Amino acid sequence: MEDLTLVLRRTAKEILEKGEAQMVIGWEKGAFWYSSTSAFISKPEDTERLIWDEYCVNNLAKYLLDYRHKEGKVAVFVKGCDSRALNVLLQDKQLKREKILIIGLACPGMKDEVEARKLGRGSSIPLYKKCRECRYPNALNYDFFIGEDKVIKEIPAQDDFSEVQALESLSPDEKYNKFVANYERCLRCYACRNICPACNCRECIFDRTASGWSSKANNVSENMFFALTRALHVAGRCVGCGECERACPVNIPIMLLNKKIIQDINALFGEYEAGTDVTAKLPLGGFEFTDPEEFM
Amino acid sequence: MKRVGVFVCHCGTNIGAVVDCPQVAEKAMDFPGVVYSVDYKYMCSEPGQEMIKKAVQEHRLDRVVVASCSPRMHERTFQRCVEGAGLNSYFVEMANIREHCSWVHAGEPEKATEKAMDLVKMAVAKVVKNKPLQKATIPVTDRALVIGGGIAGIQAALDIANAGHVVDIVEKEPSIGGKMAQIDKTFPTLDCSACILTPKMVEAASHPNINLLTYSEVEKVEGFVGNFDVTIKKKARSVNMDVCTGCGLCMEKCPKKVDSEFELKMSKRRAIYTPFPQAIPNKPVIDRENCTYFNTGKCGICSKVCPAGAVDYTQEDEYLTRRYGAIVVAIGFELFDYSVIGEYGYGKYPDVITGLHFERLVNASGPTLGKIKRPSDHKEPKNVVFIKCVGSRDPAKGKSYCSKACCMYTAKHATLVREKIKDSNIYIFYMDVRTPGKGYDEFYNRTREQYGANYIRGRVSKIYQQGERLIVRGEDTLLGRPVEIEADLVVLATAMVAQPGAGQLAQKLGIGYDKDHFYTEAHPKLAPVETHTQGVYLAGACQGPKDIPESVAQASAAAAKVCGLLSKREMLTEPIVSEVNESICAGCGMCVAICPYKAIELKTISERIQGQTVERQVASVNGGLCQGCGACTVACRSAALNLKHFTDQQILAEVNALCL
Repeated sequence: MEDLTLVLRRTAKEILEKGEAQMVIGWEKGAFWYSSTSAFISKPEDTERLIWDEYCVNNLAKYLLDYRHKEGKVAVFVKGCDSRALNVLLQDKQLKREKILIIGLACPGMKDEVEARKLGRGSSIPLYKKCRECRYPNALNYDFFIGEDKVIKEIPAQDDFSEVQALESLSPDEKYNKFVANYERCLRCYACRNICPACNCRECIFDRTASGWSSKANNVSENMFFALTRALHVAGRCVGCGECERACPVNIPIMLLNKKIIQDINALFGEYEAGTDVTAKLPLGGFEFTDPEEFM
Repeated sequence: MKRVGVFVCHCGTNIGAVVDCPQVAEKAMDFPGVVYSVDYKYMCSEPGQEMIKKAVQEHRLDRVVVASCSPRMHERTFQRCVEGAGLNSYFVEMANIREHCSWVHAGEPEKATEKAMDLVKMAVAKVVKNKPLQKATIPVTDRALVIGGGIAGIQAALDIANAGHVVDIVEKEPSIGGKMAQIDKTFPTLDCSACILTPKMVEAASHPNINLLTYSEVEKVEGFVGNFDVTIKKKARSVNMDVCTGCGLCMEKCPKKVDSEFELKMSKRRAIYTPFPQAIPNKPVIDRENCTYFNTGKCGICSKVCPAGAVDYTQEDEYLTRRYGAIVVAIGFELFDYSVIGEYGYGKYPDVITGLHFERLVNASGPTLGKIKRPSDHKEPKNVVFIKCVGSRDPAKGKSYCSKACCMYTAKHATLVREKIKDSNIYIFYMDVRTPGKGYDEFYNRTREQYGANYIRGRVSKIYQQGERLIVRGEDTLLGRPVEIEADLVVLATAMVAQPGAGQLAQKLGIGYDKDHFYTEAHPKLAPVETHTQGVYLAGACQGPKDIPESVAQASAAAAKVCGLLSKREMLTEPIVSEVNESICAGCGMCVAICPYKAIELKTISERIQGQTVERQVASVNGGLCQGCGACTVACRSAALNLKHFTDQQILAEVNALCL
């Protein structure tokens, strides 16, 4: 990965020098050895800050929204999950493809920051659970690719829905209790929403209390309403990047609900993997003459 | 604060016998905004409506709640009533305390009364939030489209054309006429089907206001009531209609013989053909699939013999787009495929035929020139068995409904056999005999008494071949014993089913259909020829099984609706449509893809963002196309779309009234 860091810096520098993009979004080293954070580089000399290591977990795709109205192009480095997120943003018509320069990467899986902090430097740090389960480590949609476009991580044969199935096997009461236990600690800080690439509304319904749908009150009922609504709003567009769960300060297993919905969509509307094909029609976003709604 | 008046209707005893209406009216005074409340026996009656108007004046009401029946029944009535009292017609809200309350909770009057109070409370909460809405006007195109050129389509077109409007008939076959052209005699008068149909066909063809588009199909429907833009595919006939004289020489000389669809494969036609001798237009088409020239490039005889030089192998499908004010759908029916039913031999015995085959066999211009001969060996049958309800009233193997016309046409067939073959024996297996209709029961009785048809109440369990004859095994349930009949010919009264393409056409038109793919009328009693899509009307068996008189009657009814619409230059549109809050809309386009009426598109707006003028896309609703279904409002994650008169705020007000 050290070598790739140099390639990455050189690429970014070239892009900025040639004026192919006004800005490059990548990663730089964070405050700790086990954290890398997003970097926004617009001067060629600053490209030295860029790195590519096993802690570049941040999904960079959503940052593009902040610069969509700027003149010129923005370049962005994408792993598999960033790439899928970027595809969803394109499908949602939030970005113009011609205004983005995409540099694809092959991701070996990122290491778990929390474990790293616990275990200490030099010890063997496990990958994030989402990275162990990841089936698309490499960028899918890019202008050019850094390194070799080959599989450098072991790829599971299929998505792991075992936790969803364990949840489904519970009785309704047990499910409810589990749900309450998870969401009574929700702070409604909306970090999950802010980081989610599928949450790209211009104005979130939860920021519009005047609409009457929800209040700002922090209680289990409102929290659950928020959780369920958000899960349904991203249904069919959740790429499974797991950033919501990583951003959650109170460790709510948010992806459990998202995965349940992914599993249900697969069963009801046919296998669909969000963000893997930018030209695909959204499973929940269309009216077809062949829709099996006999009553319509 | 709004001043709401509540008017509780007893609907005679419909509501009053279950719900304590005076108590509901009294309770209503407690609801926020209510300043006047009263109950009355019939709110929809003249004095009832006067009562509302008077109360609006006397109590200075600006909102009205009528607690009575379904808005489907009387919303317009009360809208007109409050309009008459000087209020906007959308300032009235109905609480349905009949269908939603008294009728379904007849056994629990106390709880029903409580529920009625809740329903009124919700309606009060909503009406306070109602906004005044205005109807807009749109121009109406004075031209009608009739889809389907059977008897229903022809009748509808004639009626519309006679009222002075231009009509196009689109027919997928090379000739108009439909199923009625295949039928021999019509019950109960036994007049010749062709003799009464062909004059109508000729009249339609020569009418100055009617254009026939045969061998054509509807490809695409856009637009809305008053202004439908319909794309019609005119399939290549390979014959120049302007030049062809219809002399028929090409059909005589064509060497390629193909099974005739019109004769149900019981005789041959040529590859260049008209479906039947009285076809209109009486000009042939080339069936390219079977034509030797189109398959091998050799032959070309028709072209050589044509004295007018009308044969044109290079013709291509043509697409034309026209604007219509109204559409009548009259695509008719198809017959149930009985080969799925094992009892009747899965279609493997040639002498087991359908009623329509029989019509051709008994018809003077049919394959046997009107002599009843069985298909296998062309012998005259002596024992003829008829089986009714094949696929009808059979939810297990066929359709749950009754096909309505079969009892009568089977009786007709029986009399025709007895008239033509004096020493024949008729056996009719039936479940029930249903003959409601003018002269129908008399006809049935004649069939039994004068013509000696043996009616056997019971089902047939098996048909099998034994030598030259068919053995029909069944049960006589009245005598409680098995029956076995040696038959020469078995005629099945197969169910009427929807046309195979009915579903797709419905989706193009945006109209509803039921589980059997018959089109759904807007109201089974009070709007039987309208659909839920304004400007699209139904005629004939595409709406459900019908006989000829019923189809004709419905066609004239649909024509009357069309004339009502086309007689005006402009029409009012329903203001209950979606609206977009552009400041919130992110332009994701989910609503565009989800709208069944293609009423939403993205448009580009420019606005100041972060100190600079930028262009971005937002949804834009075409109020003429929008039918107010609300699909977009639930697809929009940020609730940038709202359906007028059913806004989030109005619905949440109802929910809060009930739950908080």
